[in-house]
Amino acid sequence: MKLGKRWLPAHLLVWTYAVLLIVPLYYFLASAFKSNEEIFAHPFALPSSFGFGNFRTAYDSADLGTAVVNSALVTVLALALTLLLALPAAFALARSTSRLASAMEKIFSLGFLIPTFAALFPTFLLAAATGLFHTRLFMVFFLPATAMPLSVVILVQFMRTIPREMEEAARMDGASTYTVLRHIYIPMCLPGIATVLLLNFLTFWNEYLYSLIIIGPDPEQRTVQVALPTLKAITGTDYGVLTAGTVLTLVPVWVVYTVLQKRMQEALINGAVKA
Amino acid sequence: MTTLTPTPGGAAVRRPAPPSTTARIGTPRQGGTILAVPALVWYAVFMIGPVIAIFVIAVLHWPGMLQPVSFAGLGNVRTVLDDPVFWDAVRNTAVQLAVALPIMIVCAYMLGYYVAQKPPGHRVIRYLLFIPGLISTPAKAMVFYAALSPDGLANGALQSVGLGSLTDAWLASPSTALACLIALDVWSGIGFTAVLFAARLDSVPDDLGEAAQLDGAGHWRTMWRIHFPVIRDYVGVVTMLQFLWTLFGSAQHVLLLTQGGPGSSSTTLSFLVYQKAFIAADLGYSQTVGVILFLAGLVGLLTIRRAFRQNY
Repeated sequence: MKLGKRWLPAHLLVWTYAVLLIVPLYYFLASAFKSNEEIFAHPFALPSSFGFGNFRTAYDSADLGTAVVNSALVTVLALALTLLLALPAAFALARSTSRLASAMEKIFSLGFLIPTFAALFPTFLLAAATGLFHTRLFMVFFLPATAMPLSVVILVQFMRTIPREMEEAARMDGASTYTVLRHIYIPMCLPGIATVLLLNFLTFWNEYLYSLIIIGPDPEQRTVQVALPTLKAITGTDYGVLTAGTVLTLVPVWVVYTVLQKRMQEALINGAVKA
Repeated sequence: MTTLTPTPGGAAVRRPAPPSTTARIGTPRQGGTILAVPALVWYAVFMIGPVIAIFVIAVLHWPGMLQPVSFAGLGNVRTVLDDPVFWDAVRNTAVQLAVALPIMIVCAYMLGYYVAQKPPGHRVIRYLLFIPGLISTPAKAMVFYAALSPDGLANGALQSVGLGSLTDAWLASPSTALACLIALDVWSGIGFTAVLFAARLDSVPDDLGEAAQLDGAGHWRTMWRIHFPVIRDYVGVVTMLQFLWTLFGSAQHVLLLTQGGPGSSSTTLSFLVYQKAFIAADLGYSQTVGVILFLAGLVGLLTIRRAFRQNY
């Protein structure tokens, strides 16, 4: 399709929005290397030196090191548990034609309509009742449950595209159900697994409100997202330190996004649309 | 909501396969539905259970974590409806939805259409549009905090262009606090939604637009009269998602940026649920608002679904 001169306003508007997206981030990145005086005097100038002083202060004063480890721990364990639960479930639902199976599938897809946030207080009670309040462990258990609807629905769709004959041939050779899952279904739906992992990585790593309430303020246990806002209180209005801390928490997501850009976009689009 | 999108691979076509059923008659059913049970149990314990609990707690009189609990029936509903703060929250939430949703969806659709036409630099745009989708809520809040606090980016920029008189304590002023929260929603929502629309528009056949252009339709007409109706139900799905995210997700932004204040000028319904439960410790009240929020969500979803129903 031709894009004529009349597209000029469109180009302008779109790039204005792009600038609105970049400028705060540039400001952030630049400020992370500056002192307060430098930020106020020349907000948009490149930093005069690239010392890591702000990063070190942020890192030390909010215990970001421990927080990053905690976040990584919670994210990785929750991702593993999600796959451990969702893979067999999707496998069973994709192969079965029974009425029970389709009812189960419906229950999972209805989960999209449940706003997780609303159940914050009852979940808090559950954490207290199980004795796991103020622990990372409860988040490891809880996050996979929130990821179940999306993960199961996406994996079922991928698994349905695997021809039945493949399983039947394997059965003839005496393969067990476990072998069929392990050696046929899992290798063939690796793209689906990647999609589920990426989507959930993003939600688990970025989870805030539940972590705040359930894990609480203990520096030994809290995740980066909980530790980050405390910088505001600790450093007052030292923007250099504040932005440096924020930049630190963005790095893992940033790396994953830049490396897996295409995959990530596909994953998010698939995930959000199916939601 | 899943039913609204066509599934790739057409699962329904493959399912009824009579030969395989006959072949299977002799063999026992191998590893059937039972494998789905752990996931379902997990999901029921951590998700369905707490959601049901909202409705139970809503009829309890529970004035604090360690206080005795008694049955309140509809008493909480009366308390909530008599509370002016609740009505402030209703108004704020309504304003937030009424302003943010239309702006977001219309701008995102046009932006998505733009990107889908593959103009020069569209790859860069696509990469950038995604950025807010990656940033966590606290990080987004920090960005806005740095931009809008009294000596932040916005005031600095105003001062440097000689508009110092327009500076304001944006987040702390009753007239702008809610607007800041809406701006945050729109700022971060447009890009991500636009990528979704672009992806869907990519799969609309090119000749559809070309045919319209041969008939003399400009881009504006093609965009709204040809492409929009084709992906109408998809727009509906995305609108529902944004509606839910705005309705339920606003608590986090409010908590991080304004704490509902000044006064109750930026208290939204979902923040009220949080505030009553974890700050005021009025649990029955909190969960009653939770139930109301839940019902509002349901009504909203049905309304949006109806509005975007395929009508050709």
